[in-house]
Amino acid sequence: MSNIACFVEKYNFTDPREEGALQRFKVAAEKQGSEFHFLFREDISEIPKYDAVFIRATTDPLNAAYVVSKTAWELGLKVIDDPESITICGNKIHQYALFEKYNVPRIPTMFLDKEELHHKKISEIFDTLGKPVVIKAPYTSFSRYVEKAACETSFRDVAKRFFRKSDALAIQKFTPTAYDWRVGVLNNDVLYVCKYMIPKGKWKHGAKLRGKPTVIWGRTVSLKKREMPRMLSEVALKACSVVGKGLYGVDIKEVNGDFVVVEVNDNPSIYAGYEDSSDHDIYKRIITYLSE
Amino acid sequence: MTVLVVSNIDLPIKLRVMKPVTFLDSTINEPTLNLNNEYRYLKTGYYVSMHAEILGNRVIPSCENIIDSSRTPVFLLRAAKAGVPTLPVVVTDSVKKIIKELGFPVLLFAINPFIYGGYKVAHNKSALYRAMKSLGMNYKFAVCAQPLKGELAAVKSYFGKAVNQDPNTEKIVQKVYEIFRIPLCKLYIQKTVGKAYLCALQPVTKEELSEQDLKIISKEVSLISEQGEPFGV
Repeated sequence: MSNIACFVEKYNFTDPREEGALQRFKVAAEKQGSEFHFLFREDISEIPKYDAVFIRATTDPLNAAYVVSKTAWELGLKVIDDPESITICGNKIHQYALFEKYNVPRIPTMFLDKEELHHKKISEIFDTLGKPVVIKAPYTSFSRYVEKAACETSFRDVAKRFFRKSDALAIQKFTPTAYDWRVGVLNNDVLYVCKYMIPKGKWKHGAKLRGKPTVIWGRTVSLKKREMPRMLSEVALKACSVVGKGLYGVDIKEVNGDFVVVEVNDNPSIYAGYEDSSDHDIYKRIITYLSE
Repeated sequence: MTVLVVSNIDLPIKLRVMKPVTFLDSTINEPTLNLNNEYRYLKTGYYVSMHAEILGNRVIPSCENIIDSSRTPVFLLRAAKAGVPTLPVVVTDSVKKIIKELGFPVLLFAINPFIYGGYKVAHNKSALYRAMKSLGMNYKFAVCAQPLKGELAAVKSYFGKAVNQDPNTEKIVQKVYEIFRIPLCKLYIQKTVGKAYLCALQPVTKEELSEQDLKIISKEVSLISEQGEPFGV
């Protein structure tokens, strides 16, 4: 029996599928005899009253979710997402440097520092990775701040915009696929598996229609985790092992039979009727992990 | 022991000092002193520490301490746990909550990805609304509020040393360095009769560093380079 705080912001309740998932977490907790309360940013001072904190609001080392995570951590509470996972997943440069260090199979990636934005370096990038390339700001989430560039002019254009906030960027080989695998991992164990389909004619899961601000999302196809390819689960677990022991959503592409990691996300989306539709026990397992 | 000094500041010393951009392209395995006037997250000062950590080097400051010291509620929680005097903190985007729990005057710091310096003091309700609107970026983000009980001072800290300060302040500055190991920074400290309270840590600008300051910094860097003291060697 445990008293769990679920840190949320108002926007977590705007999508009925996400609200549905939050309710399922609450039901799963209560079934186990635990209490499950929503904690909003006004209630940060109440963290010491709880045994565990589960963060569902968007995380970043610079926002309130980090303050919640680190406060809980300092007080010795169990917390998802823990501060270190937020730090590593919130900065893709940090994450890719770790993948490089520990040999995690990944999409070919190069780093670009602000002072290196010149013709020679850009040519070197195109020579190594081909054209187009994908430029990624380190703080990307929900497919935002990830753009494609096929020539030096558009490369400079995108890079200059992303350099406003970060002094380093990640550049990746453009690897179009019909879908990205999304593997949910908790404490070094696979929790669920999905295919995030890429919308037709687009190259990322969440894409903007030309000239419009609205984002269209590809379908989510859920699979039973026992049916997933063994190599897929091995690659997903290897990628998570360099990040931590929390809850992650690993994006993986299948290229010519090989599985390569796109990125590991903390705070993965869990929507009722989507990620949970093949393996229904995900709520129970996360709650159990928090109450242990 | 050799300590690698990576600095964006020109120091009047004869030591080997590497520019951040050179270090970021290197794979040098040595204890690393990352000297920068600002350690803002996602800026070069942060990436130098990150690169050193990935290489497996002991580094001052660590990424964790860079982030925590810039998030005022976390900074104060960790400092208070280590015995540094602080005042109660309220994290909120609600004016009413601040008035109810703290009253006036009140001292406010931003907690959002866009504002990394400055503060506001509010003596009444309308000033508080204005301050919250500006620091919370139109009430979108929460702010960190503390009661203002005395006089607020900005104290420059160089390796935990402050110039011409009272003993209470000096003690706080030294303790904060022991906990967070931020070589150069500015601490906001409230002073009342016989007491001092830590309020926040912010970066110093290069313009704020006088020649006298650079001399003190150089002396400290030389000492670390010779003794390797904060690296525990």
